[in-house]
Formats: sequence, structure tokens, C-alpha cells
Amino acid sequence: MQARVTAIIVARNGASHLERTLEALRRQTRQPDTVIAVDCGSSDTTSELLAAFGPTHLISADANLSFGAAINVATQVMSPPDGDHQLLWLLAQDSAPAIGALENLVGELEIAPSVAVAGPKVMEWVADDYIHDFGQSMTPYGATVTLVESELDQEQHDGMSDVLAVSAGGMLVRHSVWDKLGGFDPALPIVDDSLDFCVRVRLAGYRVSVVAAARVSSAGDGVAGPDGSSRGRASRRRVRAERSAQLHRRLVYAPAWALPVHWISLIPLAFLRAIGDLLRKEPGAILGEFSAAFAAAFRGGRVSTARRRLAATRTLGWSSISSLRVSAAEVRRRHALTREAALTGARGDRPEVRFFAGGGAWTLLAAAVVGVAILAPLLGAQSLTGGGLLPLSATVGDLWANVGYGWRDIGLGFIGGADPFAVVLAILGTLTFWSPSFALVLVYLLALPLAAIGAWMATTRLTHRGSLRAIAAVLWALSPTFLTAIAAGRPAAIIVHLLLPWLFFAGFAAARSWSASGSAALLFAAIVACAPSLAPALLVGWLLCVLVSGRSVMRFVGIPLPALALAIPLLWNQALRGNWLALLADPGVPVPTAAVPIWQFILGFPAGDFGGWTQLLPLWGGDAAVAGYLVPLLLVPMAVLALMALLLPGARGAALALVAALLGLGTAILAGSLSVAALGAQAVGIWPGAGLSLYWLGLVGAVVFAGRGLHRIAIAPLVATAVALAVVSLPLAAALPLGTSVVEEGIGRSQPAFVTAEAAVESRVGTLQIVPQPDGGILATIVRGSGVRLDVESTLNSTAGTVTAEQEELATLAGNLASQSGLDASADLAKFGIRFVLLLPPAEEPVGWGDTATITQAASDTLTRTTTSLDGNAALAPVGDTAFGRLWRSDAPTDAAVNGQIPADAGGVFGLVTGLIAVFVIGATVLLSVPTGAGREAVRQAHRDAIRRASRLSKPPKPTRVARPSKPARPKRVKRPVGRRAKGVGPGIEESATPAPAEPTSPAEPTSTAEPTAAADTTSPKDADHGN
Amino acid sequence: MATKRRVAVLGARYAAGLIGIGIVVVAVGGAAIVPWPTLVREAPSTLVTPVAGDQMRVCPGPLLTLAEDSTQADAATSVGSYTAVYAARGAETNADEVPVERTELAATDNAQAERDGAPSVLTVPIEDGATEAPLVAGSQSQTATSETLGGLAAAACTEASSDSWLVSGSTDVGRTSLVLLSNPTTVVASVDLAVYGEAGLVDAPGSTGILVQPGSQRIVSLAGLAPNLRSPVVHVTATGGQVAATLQQSLIRGIQPGGVELSGPTTTPATAQTIPGVVVSEVGAETSVDVGAVSDDTPTVRVLVPGTTDATVSVGVQSEDGTSSGTSLETEIQAGIATEIPLTGVVAGNYTVKLNSDQPVVAAAVTTATGSAGADFAWASAAASQDGDFLVSVAGGSSPALHLANTSGSDSELTLTPVSQSAGVDISVAAGQSVVVPVAASETYLLSGGEGIAASVSYSGDGQASSFTLSPIGPLAAAIPVYSH
Repeated sequence: MQARVTAIIVARNGASHLERTLEALRRQTRQPDTVIAVDCGSSDTTSELLAAFGPTHLISADANLSFGAAINVATQVMSPPDGDHQLLWLLAQDSAPAIGALENLVGELEIAPSVAVAGPKVMEWVADDYIHDFGQSMTPYGATVTLVESELDQEQHDGMSDVLAVSAGGMLVRHSVWDKLGGFDPALPIVDDSLDFCVRVRLAGYRVSVVAAARVSSAGDGVAGPDGSSRGRASRRRVRAERSAQLHRRLVYAPAWALPVHWISLIPLAFLRAIGDLLRKEPGAILGEFSAAFAAAFRGGRVSTARRRLAATRTLGWSSISSLRVSAAEVRRRHALTREAALTGARGDRPEVRFFAGGGAWTLLAAAVVGVAILAPLLGAQSLTGGGLLPLSATVGDLWANVGYGWRDIGLGFIGGADPFAVVLAILGTLTFWSPSFALVLVYLLALPLAAIGAWMATTRLTHRGSLRAIAAVLWALSPTFLTAIAAGRPAAIIVHLLLPWLFFAGFAAARSWSASGSAALLFAAIVACAPSLAPALLVGWLLCVLVSGRSVMRFVGIPLPALALAIPLLWNQALRGNWLALLADPGVPVPTAAVPIWQFILGFPAGDFGGWTQLLPLWGGDAAVAGYLVPLLLVPMAVLALMALLLPGARGAALALVAALLGLGTAILAGSLSVAALGAQAVGIWPGAGLSLYWLGLVGAVVFAGRGLHRIAIAPLVATAVALAVVSLPLAAALPLGTSVVEEGIGRSQPAFVTAEAAVESRVGTLQIVPQPDGGILATIVRGSGVRLDVESTLNSTAGTVTAEQEELATLAGNLASQSGLDASADLAKFGIRFVLLLPPAEEPVGWGDTATITQAASDTLTRTTTSLDGNAALAPVGDTAFGRLWRSDAPTDAAVNGQIPADAGGVFGLVTGLIAVFVIGATVLLSVPTGAGREAVRQAHRDAIRRASRLSKPPKPTRVARPSKPARPKRVKRPVGRRAKGVGPGIEESATPAPAEPTSPAEPTSTAEPTAAADTTSPKDADHGN
Repeated sequence: MATKRRVAVLGARYAAGLIGIGIVVVAVGGAAIVPWPTLVREAPSTLVTPVAGDQMRVCPGPLLTLAEDSTQADAATSVGSYTAVYAARGAETNADEVPVERTELAATDNAQAERDGAPSVLTVPIEDGATEAPLVAGSQSQTATSETLGGLAAAACTEASSDSWLVSGSTDVGRTSLVLLSNPTTVVASVDLAVYGEAGLVDAPGSTGILVQPGSQRIVSLAGLAPNLRSPVVHVTATGGQVAATLQQSLIRGIQPGGVELSGPTTTPATAQTIPGVVVSEVGAETSVDVGAVSDDTPTVRVLVPGTTDATVSVGVQSEDGTSSGTSLETEIQAGIATEIPLTGVVAGNYTVKLNSDQPVVAAAVTTATGSAGADFAWASAAASQDGDFLVSVAGGSSPALHLANTSGSDSELTLTPVSQSAGVDISVAAGQSVVVPVAASETYLLSGGEGIAASVSYSGDGQASSFTLSPIGPLAAAIPVYSH
């Protein structure tokens, strides 16, 4: 009997594609007998177009109908089939059939009665020599596999006929079979609808085949099959739909006994897959992963309906289709190919660093030699003391116990949030797990080479010139603020200076790479943890990035999240106190500092005194006042170069660098005028050096831009700048040999040996430490065990504005011990668990850099008074003078249970929850930052994008963007490939399709030289620097 | 065309660049010029007033003389006994008198302690629930009339301390100086004596680690440590227990005793020192003074700068009688050198000597009284300001007088009431001025409203002179700010 074809066109706001589809339908060699058009609530001219075509029926339907439901609506207006010769041709608005498509499809069904479904070769809409998809199948485990996808059509697959399934758009199906099987599963509205239908067709005893001669172009509008758009939202929805469909089919196809197993595994699998999504740099897919799992788990009605439908029509066993599945070996082969493409993509994303050829190794070596030379006295040290340095906790476990919300074991101890800096210390200490304190020694010894290499790497983002990179490394490593931090024992400031260039390095690439975005987030967290005062400036920079990042905004918005997650407990505590400014307090040991004039900050000296020149010149027989103009004069070349960059090519980048510098300077000035913490009677300011590191970063950046703009003639002024800076930094660099540094090799303990020995027996033994203050008062704190550790220090303690009742009680005891008093101290000593009283030397008044500290008369009077009183106290027995101070012993039996024991589970639920949040956020960011390349979906998407671009260019009449021809005046630019590859090349997996305005601090436009494999060159070669 | 456009582009770029440079320079320059407000968070602290403890005063004991037998040159024996006057009362305004417990120290170095009595310890136990320490005062006096000792020596009973400065004494020819170290505590005291002379710190073997057993007195001859010093200053530091240090100086002029004096510790180093009660008497007729030379009898201020920086010291001599205005002089004092500043041209009368220095100094003044019965001298030490009501116990002696110097910036209205009577005398002392009030011997007075008053008691008779200062309760019991972090 003559076949009778009813073409059903489903359209939803598809005017742009519909015209071509309808035209193609009109030109079919075999015209469909009936045409039913279903308009799913279009708001554009779709309905007019459809009406103008003149279909047999024009149905207006609901907007949110799925493709399968729309077909069902269409079949309802038809008379029921009276035989196998009635065929349905399923078309979407973007299914433009080639001239003979229907004829070939009908031919397939007419020749073989056993074939119930025939599918065309679906081609790309714009590049119609590329295959969009051709035949579908499943793996042995049921995952969807598109047999041929995104390939150049060289008729290499035309031999295929029997397949497991075909895609929905352009499918020709017998009406009777359609009705018998009940059409597409409503639970599969977008993805796998046709796969599932074809599987049921197969199991009902029919065949499914592809017809290579029938070609239908598809634009991936999302009417039939998923939306092929590369936009983030569409792709997230697609991924979610795919996962939902896969889980639904799994539950439907599974044998009944396996259902509970599958059901239970849904949520755990979602977690595992979320980790995989992070590693594949598809964090957007995670939400879909979970919603799909929950939907599958708790919407069982759809599964049972589908299972019943399947059972009703199934006549064959599953084994009947096993030969049509893709074999495990084939799956492995395909995965391997994807992985290869992904890795190529990951590599393609990386800039050309040329570490060895570009002189990076030599810079590292030179910096290491200089570093060892100036830090020679610290070689062989196991721990460091002085300034803000203290040993770390003895074991890795203790280090991590001091992280998060819980017991802060400083002074009397309290429950509160740890500084995020504790996490940084814990990580450092874990690296040298055999002796955590050694981590800080390593930081010191490696500081210079690490700083140099950080700056060198950061400069690779701006220039490929080895000389510029080396100069930048020198300027960065010899920066006065860095050397001051080293000499003054400021581990947090040192770490900030080491990490800032890397933040720039990662942030620069964050627009294009999830991995870089994750790394930037981690670096941001570490820097803010080390120097909370930098947070405002960094947040301003972040906000700028977010505002200009356009489509890659998602890669920027999350950058402060890890920092926030770490700071939640601290934020909570300070919010309760209403002491927001205290969040800016430097973590670690509170060190009182003297006020420094602003113009010293402008010169780059966080501690003033021209970095020690005012002290050094008199030693050499010079006049100290000479420093006042000599040092600024030596810094002039750098300032001139930085400002000149604004007049040279690349001025935009230089301007951004100078904005960063001004932000840094502002931070330093703010820090210099704020004292939010206190140590005894002395106010503890915020270390301005962290802000100055950012200031210096901006200045060095501007100098690099100037060097780029000046080309060859830049060498002489740059070298002069570096040499002048080396001279300026001489007293700071030589602070250890000169003896102006406070840092010295630790003796491995921070308490007298007598106490340490006691602490070895009784770990919570209490020592009352008394420090006479400049105003004549005393600072009285309890130290438990073998002494205060750097990771135990808490800004919650140093910024506290009130005295607790317990502290007042201790103060009363200490005040009486320091006085001739009638108080019997034994009871109180026992109550606080105090076995020792250690009278430390009086606190020194902070002075300028290199000056000798002074002790006030009031402080020395208090020292005498306290010594006398303690000597005369019957409750105490003198032990003697120690390296730390004078020590007394109390023989009153201490009941350790009263005070001094760390309460179990101090953090409680809040500690657990905040800890989990931090672990979750940091863990996710770490997974995201691991450069594992891209996932399958990204590879697939990149292929599609590349095909589209390729076709766009190969069709001159309709180009969206015309590539500017290379200027003949600059042929050498093209000749030499440059540091970064062009955006949008084939394997540029993580790259966004459009050239996003990259990192705002970057001046560099996407470069001109395209990857040879890609035909695309979407950008112009206007960047002046790359290539010479 | 193309060049025109290029020029325009270049021009725009340079203009923008110059504007940018301008902005940066103005921003940076402005930041340097603008006076940025500073925000400093005050550190929280607790002001702890120590729990009042038992009060303890040590009276130095009888006058001593070194044995004439050269084989026992270091053995000291007492010459006669001394009398002590003491009293205590509660700190409140209408408090009653409190009994004072008097015990004796073991004077192991004095062979005649059995006969003449030993140094006494006056103890006033704190009452239960009392928040303030009771007021305690005590003083002792003794008139010596032996062959080698003659004159009046009075001394206050002082608190033991770990750090005291004795500015008096001399180990020159004819002068004997003994350092009396009394340890009233229950802990053995290890005492270091640092002796400064006119040539600086004396390297004196045996001056460190002098052990003073609890409840005993040690006698150290200064000549044994640092002989031939005209103007020593002794810094006494004790570790372990505390000691009450006193220096006994005696003088022989030819074969006549030239006086004896017990001088207690002066105040700790400070840039301002007040020495009330410097009593200058009429110069004896027989004393002949070479023209241009400074007589031994000239009132002299002894000053030491304990630090390492030379000091510029101005010495003001202010009359307490309200008659003459006194004099003032300024001098450079080398650090570490005990220096004597003669107060030439000061007529007889009562004076307060005030020292102002740019470096902390310790100081005391010596005056001589020559009479028909012989000569005597008196050391007036610098006195610390009182911080409220205080008791004055006046030991027996000839015509005692109370000297009150107002070191505060406001006038003081005081009431001087004998403990045995109820009616008192009102005294007003103008800011920065001093008065002298005659008092009765062997009587204890309560001086109320004594804040900012530096006080001393002097005795003057025919060939008799002595003086002691009244110390406020030790700084060890003052309130102290305690910081908790």
C-alpha cells in the first residue's frame, strides 16, 4: 500500500530558522501528504510563517509542551492509523531537510517492513558539511552515546544502517508503532526522548535504522533534543536534563530486584559526580547533578508509569539489543580520545612561560644565592624567634586543632573563631610535618628566590622579554617592604609578598580558565588570611573584575568565597562584639610599632627611617641627613618609569597597575593610622607593609609596561632602576649581618627550661607571665605548657575591648603578686593552675627602624617592685634568672581540673557547621583549581563552537565578524608565535566563545596569532608588544 | 589623512597619559600632605589595689662604733641604747589607735646587743576585712657622748625595700661610715652594694652577695669596701628578702667627736627631688675658712646621676621661714659621678632644697651645727610626697621641728593633731612653698590632708643636729594597672 506521510512541524519562537525549514519542506521531492504544524505559544512571527505555509492543520499549543507532547497533540487531530503505511515525520522548526530526505526515509520504511523508525543524517545548520549527529546508542551501563557527532562529513559513516536509536528531529516513524508504544516518555521531555522510544521500539520487535542519504540540518534550537547553545544557563540546563534522563532510564530499564540498589545509590553518586564535575571544571553542573538525583529519587510515579509502559509493549529480552550497544572497548576508546582533546585544551590554555629559555632559571638561581647570602646567620636554624615569629605547635595534629571555631588556648583561653591565618600556618606546618616550626625557617630561606620567581612568572603574563621579566623579579624581590618584613620577623607579610604575584598570575587567566579561577580564589583566601588589611583593596579589584568580565563573570564572582568561608567564625565573633574594625587586625603575634610618616610609605618603607640609612650613614662617617635626599633620589628612576608608562603604548594596562599601586598605598596609609589591637599598655598598629606590597606590585607592573613600551631602549633605565633599588635596600637586606634585625635562631622553646621540663610531665602546667609596661602597669597572662605558639595567637584576644570576670580575677591576683600585699596568693595560684611566675623584661617602647628601643623609668620601677614583691611572697619560691626572665615556683598543689583544661568539644555545633562549610568550600575550590583539563561536555561544546566558527568563515556572504587582515607593515608579528594563544581555537576547551575582556589589569588584548588547526582569527593583531 | 589621524591619536594618548600622571602625582602628594586622623584603641586594663598587708617598720638600732683593736677592725659594738617612739592607727578618719607589736632583730654583728638593745621591728597586723593599710610611724633617737662618738642621731623606722639609695657617708680620714642592713622578712636577703664615688662606680670586692639572714641585721663598714671616698653614694639592692638600709656616719675632728648621724634611704632616682628640712645654723666663731675654699661646714648637696647620660641639674634653695627667698643655681653633673654642690652664701635658717634635672638623680643635703658642747651634722634626704593622711612620730631630742614642703600645684590645708589630744593645729602650705612647724619630742602626730606633702623632722640644739624624712607607704603597695592581653 502506498505510504502516507504526515509531517508534523513543532515550532516555538523559531521564526529565524523556520523560514528555511519550510522552504526545504516545500522543495521535497516526495511531498508529505499531510502537514500538521504545532505552534507552541510563539510570540514572534512563527504562527504567521506557519499559516502562510498552509499546513493541513495549524495547532496552537501551550508554550511549555515538550517535543513528544507536541507530537501527541498533533496525532490527536489525525484519524487513528489503519495500517503500517501511515508514517509520521517528526520535524522541529530547525529541522531543514535536504531535498530528497523524505523520499529516502520513506524508501527505507517501504523496503523493510520490520523497520519502524528511520532517522536521517542530522547535519549542522550553518556548516552543512559537518555531521551534527548520526545514530544513537547506549553503553552497556546505559549511558547515552551519540554514534557520530561533530565530524566533517566525508561519507565515512554512510555504511551504517541498523542502530539502536536515532535522534528525534527528522525521525520518520510508523504511526501505528507510535500509538502502540504511547509516543515519547513524558518523563524525558528534552533529552533521550527518542533514545528511550527507539529502545522500546527495538524491544517491541521492530528495527530502527539510519538513512545516510537523508540529510536534515539542525540548529540545536532546543525544540527537538536539547538546546545546543553554549550559553552558561542553557548548557547547565542541558547537563541537568541529560543526567535526569540517564537516571530515569536507569530506574526504568533496571530489573525490579536492582531498583532499591539504584535508588539508594542516587544521592551518594551525586556527591561523587559533583567532585568529578569540579575536576572537569564544570562547577555549573553540580546543582543539576543534585536536582536530577533528588528528582529521580522522589518522583517515583513517573518511573513506575514508564516501567509499566515498557513492560506492556516489550516482546524481546534485553539481550536482543546488546549487540547494538556500544561495546566497553569502544567506550574506553572514545574516553581516551576525549581525554586527549581535553588535555590538549588545558595545555593550549597555558601561556608560553619558557622558564628555562626565558631566563627564569637564572633569575631563580641568582635570587637563591642572594637569599642565602643575606640570611646566612639563619642557616641551620630549626625555628625562629623575634618580632612576630614564634615556634609553631609541635605536631601537625595540634596545628589543625587550632583551626576554626573552638577553644583558643591563649591566656585564660576562650571559645571563639581562629584567625584564618591559622589555616595558612597549619598548611605550612604540614608541609614540614616532621618539625612544623621548620616551615617558617624554610619560608625565610626560600623567601627571596620564591619572591623572584613569583614576580618572574607574573611578568610572563605581560611580556615575553626575558630581560623585563628578570628586572621585574629583581625589583620585586628587593622591595623595601619585603626586606623589612623579613628583618622585622613578619611571617604573614612575607607570605603576602610571595603570593601577590601569583594572585595576579592566576587572576589574569581566571577569565578563561576555571582552574585559574580556583587558584586565584585560594590565593585570595591565603593573602586575606595573612593580611586582612588588604581585603578592602583586593575586594575593590575583584569588583572591577566582576564588572568588566562580561560572560566570564561566573569565574570571578566566586573568588572571595574561600576567604569568606575561612573567616565565618571570626566574623561571627567580631560581629557579636560589634567591633568590625578589629577584623583588620594582623594575625599572629601582636607587635607594637612606632608611627611612621606617610612619605616613608610613599618611598616604600613600612618601618620608616629610609630602611635604616639614617642609622647606617653615621656608622660610615656620613651625615644622617644625607639619607633624606639620597634615598628618594635613588628611587626617582623607578617612579619616572612607572609614570612614563602612561605615555607609552600599553598605557591602559599601566593605568590599571597604577590604580593597584594607589589602592596599596591607601591601604598602607589606612593601616598606619589604625590601631585596633593592643599588647598590654601599648597599641598594636596594623602592619603597613602588606599594603605596600600591593603598592609595589602596581609600581613594578607599571615599570614593566614602560619597559614594554620603550622596547630596546628600556634596558639601560631598567638596569639603572634595579641597581639603584639594590643600593636603597642594602641596609634592609643586610639587617641580619648588621644586627638591626630582630629575627634570630630559636632555641626551640619559648619558656625557661625549668618550665619546659615540667610541661613535658604535665602538659597544662600554668605559668603566669608578667611584663612591666611603659606606663608602670603590668601585663599578666597565663601561658599553659611549654609556651605560646604562633598558631595559637588570636586577634580575638588582642583586639578584645573588655575584660572578662575571669580575667579580672587573674588581674587582681597578678596585681597583688606585683605588690606588697596581704593577699594569700596560694589559693588563687592553685585555682588558676599556676605553677610558675615568670617576670619578663620590661616592654620596650616601639621606635623607628634601627633605633635602640627604650625602657621607661616607670617600667623599670615596676620591674623592681614586682621582683621585690615576688621575692617576698611566701607562696612563691625563687627559681632564679633564666634566659627569658626571673622565675618563681609555686608549690601550692594545683588542681588542674579547676582551670587550664581544654573543654571537650569547645566549638560545639557552630564549630562543626562552620568547619564543614570551610572544608566544603575550600575542598571544592581545590578540586576546581587542579589543572585536570576539561570535561567531555566542554570538549563536545568546543567542537561544536569550532565548527560553527569555521563554517561562518567559510561562508563569506554571511560573516558575523570579519577577521582583519594582518597589517603588512608588521610581518614579524605573525612570524613569531607569542606567549598566549588566541582565544576560540579548536581545543581551547575552557575558553569562552567570545573574546572576553580578560583580566582587567591586563592590557593585552587577545593576541593575533591563531592556532594553526583553527581557521578562526577573531581578533586583531593590535597588541603592540607580543611578537618582538 | 592617515598622518593627521595618527597625530590626533597620539595627541589624545599623550593628553590622557599626562592627565593620568597628574592624578597619580596629586593623589600621592596629597596623601603625604593630608594629616590623616589616627584611631587608637585603648587597651582595657584593671586597676588593682593590692590587698593591704601587715605593716612593718625597722628601726636601725643603737649607734655603733668600730673596735679600736686593729685585729678586730671590722667588729662593731654599740654605744648606749636608743629610744624609739611609734604609733599606729587605722586609715579611716576617726579610727582608733592600733597596738604595735615590737620585736627585736638578731644583731649578730654587735657584741653588745644584749646590753644596748637590738634593731626593732614594728609590726602592725592588718585587721580582718580592712581594705586600707593602717598608718604606722616610728622613729628613734640617741645622743652619743663617748670618746669617739658625739652628737644626736635620729632616724625614722623605715620599710624594708629591695632597692634603696643611701646618699650620705664618707670614708675619708676621720670619718667612719657603716651600712646597716636589717632584714625583717622571713626570707634570706642577698644584698648587693654599688658604691659610687667622686671617681665613679667603685669596684669593690665583697660588695655583692652579702647575705642577711631573716630577722637579723648585718653591719658593713663602707671603708672596707671603698676607702678614701669623700662623697660616696650607695645603691643597695636586695634579692630574696628585703632589707631596711641605714647609713651611720660619724666624724672625728682632730681628737674631738665631730658628730654622728643615721641617715635612711633617699627617694629613688627621679628628675625632680625635694629635700625639706635643711637646717643651716650659725657658723661657729672658731671655724676659720680660707678665702676661696669651701669649708667642711658649708651646707652641701650631694647628687648622683645613676644613668649613663650627663644631666643638667638646677638646685633651688627655698626658705621655709618665709623670710628670705633663697637662691638657685644650675650645674652640669656627670653621669655616675657622685658630685657635691656646696650651697655657699646661705644664711642660717630652714630651707627646702629642690632639684630639677633632665635625667633621674638621687640627692641629699648635709649641714653642720657647731655649738659650745661640740659639733654635729645632719643629713637631710630627699623626701617622697605623701599620698594622704600620715603619722609623724617624733623621737626624743632637742627642739624638734616638722618641715612640710608642698610639691603639688595647689595650696594645702593641713591639720596637725597630737595623737594623745583631740585638738589640732591648722597649717596652710601654699603651692610649691614650705613651712616649718615646731613639734614636741616623744609625741606622735596625725597630719591629715597631707597629699603632695614632702615632710621631714629635724632636731637642732647646741652642737646637736639630726634629721629624718617621713616616707609614704612604700610604692610596692600602690595601685597598679594590670593588662590582661
